[in-house]
Amino acid sequence: MFCLGASNFMSAQTVTGTVTDDSSQPLPGVTVIVKGTTTGSATDFDGNYSISANNGDVLVFSFVGFETQEVSVASNVVNVTMQAGIALDEIVITGLATSIKRSNSANAVATVSADDLAGRTPPQTLDGALAGKFTGALVTSNSGSPGGGLSVKLRGVTSINGNSQPLYIIDGVYLDNSSIFSAGLNDVSNASGGGASATANQDNASNRIADINPDDIENIEILKGASASAIYGSRGAAGVIIITTKRGKQGKTKINISQSNGWNEALNLQGQRNWTAALAESAFGEGALYTAAESAGTLRDYEKELFGEKGFISNTNVSMSGGNEKTTFFAGFSRNQEDGIVKNTGYDKSSIRMNLDHKLNDNIKLSLTTNYINSSADRGFFNNDNAGTTLGVALTATRPWDFLLPDENGNYPDHPNNSSNPLQTRDLMTNNERTNRFITGGNIDINLLRTDNQSLKFGARAGVDHFTLTAKVIFPKELQFQRPDQGGVNGVSAISTTTNTNANYSAFLVHNYNTDNDMSFTTQVGVTNQQFSQNIVRVTASDLIASETNIDQAANVNTGQVRLEQEDFGFFAQEEVNFQDKLIATIGVTGDKSTNNGDIDEFFYYPKGSLAVNLSNFDFWGDNDVLNKFKLRTAYGEAGTFAAFGSLFTIFNNTLIDNNVGIIVPITRGNPSISPERQKEFEIGFDAGLLNNRVSVEFSYYLKKVEDLLLRADVATSTGFSSEWKNAGELENKGVEIGVNIKVFDNEDFSWDSNISWYTNESEMTKLNVPTFNLGGFGNSLGQFQIEEGKSVTQIVGTTGPGTPVSVLGDAEPDFQMSFINDLRYKDFTLSFLWHWKKGGDNINLTKLLSDFGGTSADYDGLDVDPDGQIPNGDYRIVNGLFAGNARPFVEDASYLRLREVGLYYTIPDETLDKWFDGIVSNVKLGFSGKNLINVFDYNSYDPEVSNFGGNGLSTGVEVTPFPSSKRYMFHLSVQF
Amino acid sequence: MKITKKFNIIILTIGFLAFTSCSLDGGESLNGASTSSISDDLSRGELPQAISGILSDMRDRLNTQVDVQSIMGREYYYFTSSDPRFEGDVVTGNLDNQTFYTTNVWSTRYAAIKEANLALEGLANTTSDFSAQETAAIRGVLNTLKAHELLMVSNNQYTNGIRIDVADPDNLGPIVGYDEALTAILGLLTDAAVDLASGGSSFPFNLTSGYTGFDTPAGFLQFNKGLTARVEAYRGNYSSVLSLLGGSFMNMAGDLNEGVYHTFSLTGADLSNPLFIAQNQEANVRVAHSSFLVDAEAGDTRTNKVTLRDTPREASDLVGTHDVWIYQSLLDNVPILRNSELILLYAEANMVSNPAEAVNAINVIRNAAGLVDYAGAQTPSALEDEILNQRRYELFAESHRWVDMRRFGRLSELPNDRAGDMVPSAVPIPFDDDF
Repeated sequence: MFCLGASNFMSAQTVTGTVTDDSSQPLPGVTVIVKGTTTGSATDFDGNYSISANNGDVLVFSFVGFETQEVSVASNVVNVTMQAGIALDEIVITGLATSIKRSNSANAVATVSADDLAGRTPPQTLDGALAGKFTGALVTSNSGSPGGGLSVKLRGVTSINGNSQPLYIIDGVYLDNSSIFSAGLNDVSNASGGGASATANQDNASNRIADINPDDIENIEILKGASASAIYGSRGAAGVIIITTKRGKQGKTKINISQSNGWNEALNLQGQRNWTAALAESAFGEGALYTAAESAGTLRDYEKELFGEKGFISNTNVSMSGGNEKTTFFAGFSRNQEDGIVKNTGYDKSSIRMNLDHKLNDNIKLSLTTNYINSSADRGFFNNDNAGTTLGVALTATRPWDFLLPDENGNYPDHPNNSSNPLQTRDLMTNNERTNRFITGGNIDINLLRTDNQSLKFGARAGVDHFTLTAKVIFPKELQFQRPDQGGVNGVSAISTTTNTNANYSAFLVHNYNTDNDMSFTTQVGVTNQQFSQNIVRVTASDLIASETNIDQAANVNTGQVRLEQEDFGFFAQEEVNFQDKLIATIGVTGDKSTNNGDIDEFFYYPKGSLAVNLSNFDFWGDNDVLNKFKLRTAYGEAGTFAAFGSLFTIFNNTLIDNNVGIIVPITRGNPSISPERQKEFEIGFDAGLLNNRVSVEFSYYLKKVEDLLLRADVATSTGFSSEWKNAGELENKGVEIGVNIKVFDNEDFSWDSNISWYTNESEMTKLNVPTFNLGGFGNSLGQFQIEEGKSVTQIVGTTGPGTPVSVLGDAEPDFQMSFINDLRYKDFTLSFLWHWKKGGDNINLTKLLSDFGGTSADYDGLDVDPDGQIPNGDYRIVNGLFAGNARPFVEDASYLRLREVGLYYTIPDETLDKWFDGIVSNVKLGFSGKNLINVFDYNSYDPEVSNFGGNGLSTGVEVTPFPSSKRYMFHLSVQF
Repeated sequence: MKITKKFNIIILTIGFLAFTSCSLDGGESLNGASTSSISDDLSRGELPQAISGILSDMRDRLNTQVDVQSIMGREYYYFTSSDPRFEGDVVTGNLDNQTFYTTNVWSTRYAAIKEANLALEGLANTTSDFSAQETAAIRGVLNTLKAHELLMVSNNQYTNGIRIDVADPDNLGPIVGYDEALTAILGLLTDAAVDLASGGSSFPFNLTSGYTGFDTPAGFLQFNKGLTARVEAYRGNYSSVLSLLGGSFMNMAGDLNEGVYHTFSLTGADLSNPLFIAQNQEANVRVAHSSFLVDAEAGDTRTNKVTLRDTPREASDLVGTHDVWIYQSLLDNVPILRNSELILLYAEANMVSNPAEAVNAINVIRNAAGLVDYAGAQTPSALEDEILNQRRYELFAESHRWVDMRRFGRLSELPNDRAGDMVPSAVPIPFDDDF
């Protein structure tokens, strides 16, 4: 296969010509190929090309966004006019080194284009922008905190204690998506001090995908399961999200400037009880205080006080693209600033990018991407707490007649019935995450061999992702709960510094062989190497000097350090056979090993195979105008998930007593023979195009099994440990994804594109080799998740009364999700909106219970929680709920229907622009857009999309006084030069 | 030909890369010492850290342990806005076997026991140059501390039973009943006493300042004997109690507060006293049960252990008018075993056989609390009442009341303020260990 072939032209002539579009503009970069061979060329800056071809040969002209044309060679000049066409020739990536036409792909690879991602409304973070845009995903925002913090679950729960967030790759660089909690927060809130699962992280940290600028992105491909992501081996089980950023295009340098401004406001505030002096008296005996506050005019809605800000948003984006036939570039600069709905919270990000492509000669292509991001997020102080200090918990104890505002000298009164004054905490505390990140990647493609039938390409890729995350948490000594007379530690200042460097290298060979009867064989082999290095240093200082915050300006200093070093090495091989675009079969295998495994030299192998049958390309199909395209596809693949770093070892923790350092056993016992989980996915489906592709339908069914599940299984605590790492279970996810795309209208004046998708997933723990265990909650009387053989992985269980057995009260998996995307265009106006409906899926809502204990729940006096309608809600939840060991009132349906994105734009007509600006300016767009403008849900709190325990693992959907979510209103102006 | 050359170079490069990248380097533990480094071979350098680890971990979750036992003993209530189960489950006696009040205390005590077992295993396997005396001294301390932790668990789970043999996590011994557990604990303590007696004159490690006066093998032996006396009192072997007290630090003329303590500090990774709450708080409070003051004898200075609040604190129909004010800062020590308890054990042991001597001991305690000598009957049952009374006030909020009332069969005498409240006799075995 690698042997050289002799050229077989006897009488080659040079054919030249010009390629133009339908407005007679020359088209540079059009690919020209002699059909059935690998002889190819491309048009230059002026649309001219030249190629070797005989009379009678067929030349194939193809260019993204235009219909491919085939022209027979009759003379030595062939000019062609290309017609703009639908993107059926769209390319999707398959394997690590090759791409394939979407029409030939055997997997349901989802794609999100730049327009879909950020074109409707500017997203706050990249992963948040994915919600509702493709089937098979459950994207949940952990809270409304600015700066992100999301979980993306593709096709159900992939792992219980292992990683369940997908792998993100940007231009070939493996991205780090860690979520690192900041020191200092738990010391004050003591959230992990009493009752919550010890392994959970409740500090509302963001995750690093938030750093990527969505405006830089050209498109995103999502490989949802092992059948597509097998090639990524032990990292691919939770899915792979492949991001491609914008690249330069040949031609005149284009500069694009866009500016968006707007504001955000709370989505769904809960409100107040209908307070009167009589109610204040019966609830707290404070009727007199109420009357006094009423007459002094100091009654205040503290929820509005805390969450009622309108945060100002400003996004500026400048990008430049251009180049000639040898070198093209894309440069972009963005500045995003956003204030949160709570004072002193916000997000500020600057990103600068330079992408360069250079053709050394006809055979060697280089490309480079570089990106620098600097961001700062102020996230407030929310979520679970055992000391009454987080803003949300403090609010539950706050009554409208309490006086919490500062005097003219800035002194805040103590809270009369709580250990902290939320306004004081909000104004004086700091919780800031600052990131400095460099992402750089380079690519070289060399054509080693090119004959008519064969080509051999060598590629090498290198990428580095380096960031420094500095988190600063400061609770000054003036705070009520920091004062020593209140039992405080006189101020806390904590710094967490994380340095993270990931590097990945790969090299591969791709060989292409075409036979005469249009059968092509593509072989790829390659090796990959990834290196990960992370060092987190956390220092917490308490008992601070005056108003200093440096960590040495303190009496007591506590330190901690966690390091991670890992190296993976792998190889892959894949063979793809394409028979006339009718049958496309792929088979491949990836093998990798890692220092993270018990045996660092042991290879784990992940095979894959797939078959796509384009029935509509067969002769027997003929030319059917109704069902013009039909493809059956099936794929199988295996991928893995690594054990968490350190699970091999049982490491002592350190402690201090009376200045003596001591070693104490950890909570989790390590397992020296731990191995990765293995996912096996089978997918089958079809793609159909009806009415000349006016309607296209995509249907997939998948069955995903995960074996050797990594479980942090509970162990009998008399061992001295609470849990132990084991490969000890199997789970299964199966689901259906349906997508329908309809071009309802397509005239010159009016067009309407509609996309409807429906998807569902069901999970089951098929085998559990350890006893049933719980996670992600606070006990059976409040509701928690339970991993049990034969049951749904995401089931929520609890007791329903005194002495009752534990029973299933709900399930966090939605019944189904639907999204409706509509793009309408009328003359120069475009209106585009995305509705997202999640039906089913339950949350554990503990926010209301805490405000019941404070007597401040807005619905305390209602009668809708008691099934008999007799007992007021607040009393019912406390007495008939918690005290009676009945967890039913806390498991709530978290369905929602959201208008996630809507955008209305007006493009100023070209003629008007030419008149005003003499052709300097083009493509001026004005518009208005919004995010989460309409939200319909019955859920009894701020937002059903919430997670107290962060983004990883099983426990999304538990809420304990979170940072409320917000809706955004934005105005835009963009101009192109 | 040019192509072949380039081609060959590339193939060689790939092959080279493939071979050099092929062997991975790394995979060691980065973030701490592994437990096998102790249990495989306890070295002289690791020994102090292992001991300090046990002493430190004995303080872990002390608040949950003491709070739950004090609530069940109706000494005080703990109200917190962050967890209503302290005024719910714990007071109603509906103890769930998967909730923190059952699971956390059991797991943290067993963690300390595990640390002692790892050190004992390491000591048995050691290649270091410990002398026979040093080895005996180390073993004596480890077994005493291990016995203390097992006793803490046994006090909670009572007749539900506890596990004694937990050295091998893959092969746990069975749950044994209360009597067998106490016998095993007694066995550990007496073995430790023998070891300490031949332990030489000093320890090859530091104890904390809470062990001042008991930080030599001979001194520690006195602590061991005092603890053993307590266990024998639980078993009803009063003659044994008397002989053990003779070898302990009991001193009727000495400082009542002499003894062994948990210490706390705010430095670095050290723990602060988890039982300290400032007075007049609202969100988190420990409020004395009303009966504490109502039942007190006039003039008892120990009523100063509670202070009147500015405003009463009420939660779910339970009311507290007085804050518990034993620990007055984050740095205060918490007693493990005090002279006053030993004197009261002495009184209890003499209750039947030598009532006059019992009264002497009772009077030491009474006089120190500003009360006149005991003038009541000297029958065993009257003395039992008086001793329980003195233990209630002397050892207030030190998790003795519930245990004492239970071992004398008097849990039903403890007050229940609301209908539906109940004092349980034992905490259930945690769900994960119930096999």
